[in-house]
Amino acid sequence: MNLLRKLWNNLHLFMALPAIVLFGLFFIYPLAQGIGISLTDSNGMSPPRFIGLQNFVDFFHDARAKKDVYNTVFFAIGSAPLLNLFGFLYALILDRPFKGKGFVRAVVYLPAVISPLIMGYVWYFILQPDRGFLYHLLASLHLGTGGSDWLGNANSALLVLVFINVWQFVGMTMIIYLAGLQSIPKELYEAGEIDGAGYLKSLWYITIPMVVQSIKINVVTNIIGSLSVFEIIVALTDGGPGYSTESLSIYILRMLYGSFTGYSTAVAMILFVMIIIPVFLFMRYINKKEFEM
Amino acid sequence: MKNTRTLGKYTLVAAMTLLSLIPFYILLYLALNNPSRTLFNGLSLLPDFNFSNFSEAWESSKMGLATLNSLIIAIGGAVLIILAASSAGYAIARYSNKFHQSVFNVLLICMMIPAIIITVPLYTLMKSIGGINTHWAMILLMASNGVPFSVFLYTGFIKVLPREIEESAIIDGCTPFTAFWRVTFHFLRPVTAAVVILQGLAIWNNYGQAVFFLQGQDMRTIPLAVSMFFQQYGAQWNLMAAAAVIGLAPAVLAFLVFQQYFVKGITAGAVKG
Repeated sequence: MNLLRKLWNNLHLFMALPAIVLFGLFFIYPLAQGIGISLTDSNGMSPPRFIGLQNFVDFFHDARAKKDVYNTVFFAIGSAPLLNLFGFLYALILDRPFKGKGFVRAVVYLPAVISPLIMGYVWYFILQPDRGFLYHLLASLHLGTGGSDWLGNANSALLVLVFINVWQFVGMTMIIYLAGLQSIPKELYEAGEIDGAGYLKSLWYITIPMVVQSIKINVVTNIIGSLSVFEIIVALTDGGPGYSTESLSIYILRMLYGSFTGYSTAVAMILFVMIIIPVFLFMRYINKKEFEM
Repeated sequence: MKNTRTLGKYTLVAAMTLLSLIPFYILLYLALNNPSRTLFNGLSLLPDFNFSNFSEAWESSKMGLATLNSLIIAIGGAVLIILAASSAGYAIARYSNKFHQSVFNVLLICMMIPAIIITVPLYTLMKSIGGINTHWAMILLMASNGVPFSVFLYTGFIKVLPREIEESAIIDGCTPFTAFWRVTFHFLRPVTAAVVILQGLAIWNNYGQAVFFLQGQDMRTIPLAVSMFFQQYGAQWNLMAAAAVIGLAPAVLAFLVFQQYFVKGITAGAVKG
């Protein structure tokens, strides 16, 4: 009885347990297993054989995988900086007082609420060659529609994918910056004004340092999100034409469906490393910066 | 000078609004057109206002069932996330020790791992616990996906909340555990709203894992139902658009209900904490 009483009084020390059990079972445990599977020639049917790092060696000789790494990195290098730039600009504009502010913020965030898959389908309608919305718009405005097959062309398709990703998630980035902007005490700007700082100066010396926390969250989530891009590509090009817009996460699933289970898991581990490294470097850089300020 | 600046500001804001709304307009335009009219003929910007697409899409792709499945999984997952993540956040923020600190760090690192990376071993696990094509396993899986970021938000939020909130309750005879559920939990409303929006919508929109673990026809969620439309009846854009509108309506509704707390929750949970 006494023991039960004691347990009850100290229950707060076990409050993290449900989260740990849940996360341990459905994430940590599979992750640990995945590391094991990536070292085998598992195909999901016959018993797997340990082959060491062979899958990883194969990866570096896989031309399609190289192309996918290029596509994925291209997509991320296009998306992450643009998302942050426009998200920040959007937040600066929508932080100022004007009528209907709340409405505009909600509308700008709205695309991020919808599944990237469905939004991808909508953009597919818009970009259809010879019959989509954009084609008709350009045609009726006599702006010329030459080369309207934006998704059929490998070079333009990747750019289109970046554009749609930025379009869809700019609201998400904006909200985080907006939250940062709102936590800056107004007195700082008043003090800056007294010292004769103009708009750009106070932006550089007050606003940006004060939203460092928002920058961290946004950059990290954008790196993760863009390097693991999946649905938008499935909806718009399905990796085509050829493999020209295929991302690593799509490749992982294709290999999985093709019963290359071990190889697919190895590629997944490589993607994991590809995400961890830039995130780690960025965090180290920005934490150093913070100390200097 | 002041007038031109105001004008410039409103033009900019109007452009931002329009840019965000165009695809929604296109979707509604297609969903409301007669089946014969799938294209944009010239610049006729008004649709035919034919509402039959909705009923047809609803029946032909079992959208009702898909909506129900999505609702069960999203609500179940969100409730589980809120319970598990808020209590973990409380323990980490208020009772800091080595164990809680390392739990927090592990969750933070795992936030960087996209779900796709564990698909293969997860499939084996789901099979062995009989979780394929079940609501309960999908709820548990979705909840575990949402736990790290939500714990992060709750921890940050509780850290900036004054301790006095639960201290007086503890003096009045509550244990720290009951003080949390009776008192502190009610102060977490903004961050809970942010979690509902972020995680509830992530579950509602989940496609990558639903494709694997909900293969049964009767277990399809909204994104699966809509994607079936796209793949199987590729030419019938009106129906597909109607199905998409049906599928995104609850998400938009939930967002509008909870969005007033949203920025507050993010500000206190992620930015200040």
